[in-house]
Amino acid sequence: MNKKVFFIFVVICFVVIGILPILFMLAKSVNVDGRFSLYFYKNFMNSSREWTLIRNSFTLSFLTTLFTTIIGLPLGILFAKTDLPFKKLFTVLFTIPLLIPPYITAISWFDLLGREGLLSKILNPATAEITSKWLFGLPGCVLILFSTFLPVIILLTITFLKTINPRLEEAGKLVSGWPGVLKGITIPLIMPGLLLASILVFLLTLGEFGVPTFLRYDVFPVESFTQFSAFYNFGAATAAAAPLVIITFIVLVIERIFLREKTYQLHPAVGGDKSSKINLGAYRKWFLIIVILLCFCIIILPFFVLLFHSLSVDVYKEALSRAGDSLFRSVAYAAVGASALSVLGFFLGYLIHSKTFRFWRAVDSLTIFLFALSGTIIGIGLINLWNRSATNFIYATPLIIIFGYLAQYTALTSRITVSTLAQIPSSMEEAAQVSGAKWMRRITLITAPMAKRGLIAGWLVGYIFCLRDMGVTMLVYPPGHDTLPVRIFTLMANGSTELIAALCVIMIIATLLPLGIGGILFKLRGFLK
Amino acid sequence: MSIIEFKNVSKYYNDTPVIQNFSMKMDSGERVAILGPSGCGKTTVLRLLAGFTSPDSGEIIINNQIVAAEGKIIKEPEERNLGMVFQDLALWPHLSVKGNLEFGLRAKRVQKIKREKYIPEMLKLMQMEKSIHAKPAELSGGQQQRVALARALILHPEILIMDEPLSSLDQDLNVQLRKEILKLHNKIGFALLYVTHDREEAFDIGSRIIVMKDGKVERIGSSEEIKKHFD
Amino acid sequence: MKNFIYIIIAICIIIAGIFFWSKTNEGGKSSVVVVYVSEDQVFSEPVLKAFEKATGIKVKAVYDTEESKSTGAMNRLIAEKNNPQADVYWANEPIRAEVLKQRGISAPYFSPVAEGIPKNFKDPKGYWTGFSARARVFVVNKNVEKKPTSVIAYTEPQWKGKAVIANPLFGTTTTQMAALFSIWGDKRAEDFMNEIKNNKTKISSSNGESADLVASGEFDFSLVDSDDAINRSRQGKPVEMVYPDQGINEIGCLIVPNATVFINGAPHSANAKKLIDYLLSKETEKKLAFADCAQIPLHSGVDTPPELKRINQLKTMKINYGEVARKLQEIQPILKNWVGY
Repeated sequence: MNKKVFFIFVVICFVVIGILPILFMLAKSVNVDGRFSLYFYKNFMNSSREWTLIRNSFTLSFLTTLFTTIIGLPLGILFAKTDLPFKKLFTVLFTIPLLIPPYITAISWFDLLGREGLLSKILNPATAEITSKWLFGLPGCVLILFSTFLPVIILLTITFLKTINPRLEEAGKLVSGWPGVLKGITIPLIMPGLLLASILVFLLTLGEFGVPTFLRYDVFPVESFTQFSAFYNFGAATAAAAPLVIITFIVLVIERIFLREKTYQLHPAVGGDKSSKINLGAYRKWFLIIVILLCFCIIILPFFVLLFHSLSVDVYKEALSRAGDSLFRSVAYAAVGASALSVLGFFLGYLIHSKTFRFWRAVDSLTIFLFALSGTIIGIGLINLWNRSATNFIYATPLIIIFGYLAQYTALTSRITVSTLAQIPSSMEEAAQVSGAKWMRRITLITAPMAKRGLIAGWLVGYIFCLRDMGVTMLVYPPGHDTLPVRIFTLMANGSTELIAALCVIMIIATLLPLGIGGILFKLRGFLK
Repeated sequence: MSIIEFKNVSKYYNDTPVIQNFSMKMDSGERVAILGPSGCGKTTVLRLLAGFTSPDSGEIIINNQIVAAEGKIIKEPEERNLGMVFQDLALWPHLSVKGNLEFGLRAKRVQKIKREKYIPEMLKLMQMEKSIHAKPAELSGGQQQRVALARALILHPEILIMDEPLSSLDQDLNVQLRKEILKLHNKIGFALLYVTHDREEAFDIGSRIIVMKDGKVERIGSSEEIKKHFD
Repeated sequence: MKNFIYIIIAICIIIAGIFFWSKTNEGGKSSVVVVYVSEDQVFSEPVLKAFEKATGIKVKAVYDTEESKSTGAMNRLIAEKNNPQADVYWANEPIRAEVLKQRGISAPYFSPVAEGIPKNFKDPKGYWTGFSARARVFVVNKNVEKKPTSVIAYTEPQWKGKAVIANPLFGTTTTQMAALFSIWGDKRAEDFMNEIKNNKTKISSSNGESADLVASGEFDFSLVDSDDAINRSRQGKPVEMVYPDQGINEIGCLIVPNATVFINGAPHSANAKKLIDYLLSKETEKKLAFADCAQIPLHSGVDTPPELKRINQLKTMKINYGEVARKLQEIQPILKNWVGY
């Protein structure tokens, strides 16, 4: 097959799965009784409540972004550039909240601070009364989304720090101490990357609906969910979702214009690993204490509350009998989803990397756009598009869930592919070309094997995001095919808190287990070599 | 009869010319060296010949067939039957020496029995038969050069292109490998197009030399003539 | 070692593939029934499991949670109108069943099992049939000496700032308001709502939160669902349940039954009828009465736990659920305005 034809096919797949549902929804929302009309939009914009919601959404996103950036940047620097003890362990621990559905973190905090949480038993109900009020609302939402998205900033800071040529810092070090170098050289150098990370956190917070729903803080995505649900009006629901789509789009365009050229390629700097470490000296102890405290408060404590709360064999038996099948399904769908994401993401990443088409930039932007879009919107779009008898083989089967994963998360695998391919010299594929190999052979036998590490990393990231997905799955899963996060969410209504806690623990283990195994395998391979 | 011909080839990157009105001819079995400072466009000539980029104007002809013309690639690199040794060698790190050699043979659908015969033969010629199962990273710089050469020659191309292949080696090894390349040329008889910025290398390898500057041919002549000119 | 990870990934894909295949082809059409459920999964799932066990028919369900306002099931039913996937809808209140009837999504089915269920809890044309009901009751803190007896209490000065009500835009509180509009007429009902507001009544986000606020003693009473009240008192909280408006000239207490709906064009219609018959049976009603949701059986002669009154011991509000459903959609702007949206 011709290379261009194949890649056009890949792009069509992406457009049909990801873009078409959104377009379809937009088309439906401007169609009132068969005529073009902006009725739903006008109706929507005239309501004062929507402006309150937009304000709430912005407040939540802004505060979350502010705190994650202010705290994530120093942590990233501490973990990447200093001689802080156990920094690898800390990096892993701080990453955990990102890997599990955020509303599970919310449940764990509820078990701790809620009216009948652990705190009310340890201290007194009056204190728990206050903490509960504090948890339900803006502060609680900020706290939970802060701990969820903090690792985005930490991990990206670490990654961007590795791309700095260490000579630049060493040159600064000749005339200044580390604080001066960090302030004058290092941080300005990673500033574009840091801003990119902050924007990502902002958009992810903007699209989040599970936590605000649980904690009863009214934000925009919840509203479009409610519009869709309470009043059974699809046109109005789309209109309600539109501002979010537009805001996401605008932020991404701004990002593209101002930042993209500066941060586009992530080459690890030559000798980046050998760059000099900051010696914390006498402050080491204090930094360690602060990091341990933070880690304890936002990661270890909530997890142990869940464990403590569910500590009984019977509860786990009940949990497994209630959700055993959905756990199995979750793992299976996430595995299939991750594999499909790896394939689609690899080819789209290859297309973006090799600039096969003039519109490669648009493909790249659209994947990011979908990633930042609320899962609710994608879900509604998928129902609108695929629910017809001719496409029952998609809509009435788990394929629709896989479509949802592909629509939402392709950016993850395509981006990982792009940054992996950037590290492979183009001569490798050219050498295969002069050896007489056609493009498919070159990609599958030369490029893909050389990008193996990136592909595996992409698969794992894809697996985790599919496994924790709730927004899309909740709306589209076929009868009898719900996944564990959805099952937990529906069981939360009047389910006993012990049962929910046990289910959350199971969910966390199901997420972390493959990562642990993957990590051990990687270590083992290094060891055998 | 000429095996390679460039007719008034020009190539631009963002409106700046990389090569301008470049014309040359090369006969089969001939050894030609392109000499010039870095940035003079000599690597672009190779990439045009191999088919990795297309000329914005002019024609490139291989074996009396137009392979690229006026912004279009007519024959893809994999159809041009060239051998090439890259500046960074581009040995595939995930494949063994045997795998590196076998790749092209498989792509050209050479039968397994023949493959099992050709690969040891070629490695013997390069005195590399002991390293058949080694990975590229386990070889020394000189050994890697030999594997790259073996890989380029295993399909018996009529044309071998070399892009500064020896630039990263020390002086002694550099001289030794030049001799080996000439020996191989005598034995097999491919047309050799060799790009370098090193005069000595160019005079050693090329029977004819093209001196390039700023994307244009500055001088063409036999290696003696050019040597005289520089002296 | 080199290909180890590939092999693992390949195995994952194969297992998942087989799983996919087996799940989607399970048993063919004859032994499956698809049900969308709005009753809380914790309570409905055991009933459906029991049905599977009793009949050998595999139940495939989509659950949603009223609590989180994510009424996915209803929306799917509406979205899937032209291509129905569901056979049965288990609604947790008859208003939704009425909406489906009005939109032509349901079809009539008179279950023979439902003959013992009082007429006013069934659609006369058979588009839905009620069973196991919640009552709208007061949950009152035990420390309150004089208990409220009528919904009018919300407007009385003695309860100023001491009562809670859940947001009337959602759930059964909406039904309650619509029922009052239908029984009192618009003028009186609207005045009533405004007086509630003037009496500094707290608006909570859900019935559950209302019950918690009363249990903790922050407020004296609230109108909630009977399961919220019974639930709190079983947990040992200092609350009591009061059935409102039981006096001779009073309106009676609002009953909110579950409802079965037969979907128009159901792919597995024979199994759908079996499931509906099962849900409407005395056994199911008994199960739901003794479960934590403590729902009131509508068949006479079904055992109930001691804290639950039987349906014939109650004075119930005389309403037409179809009219309430129409009212509910009509008064949306009033409710929105009232909440301040």
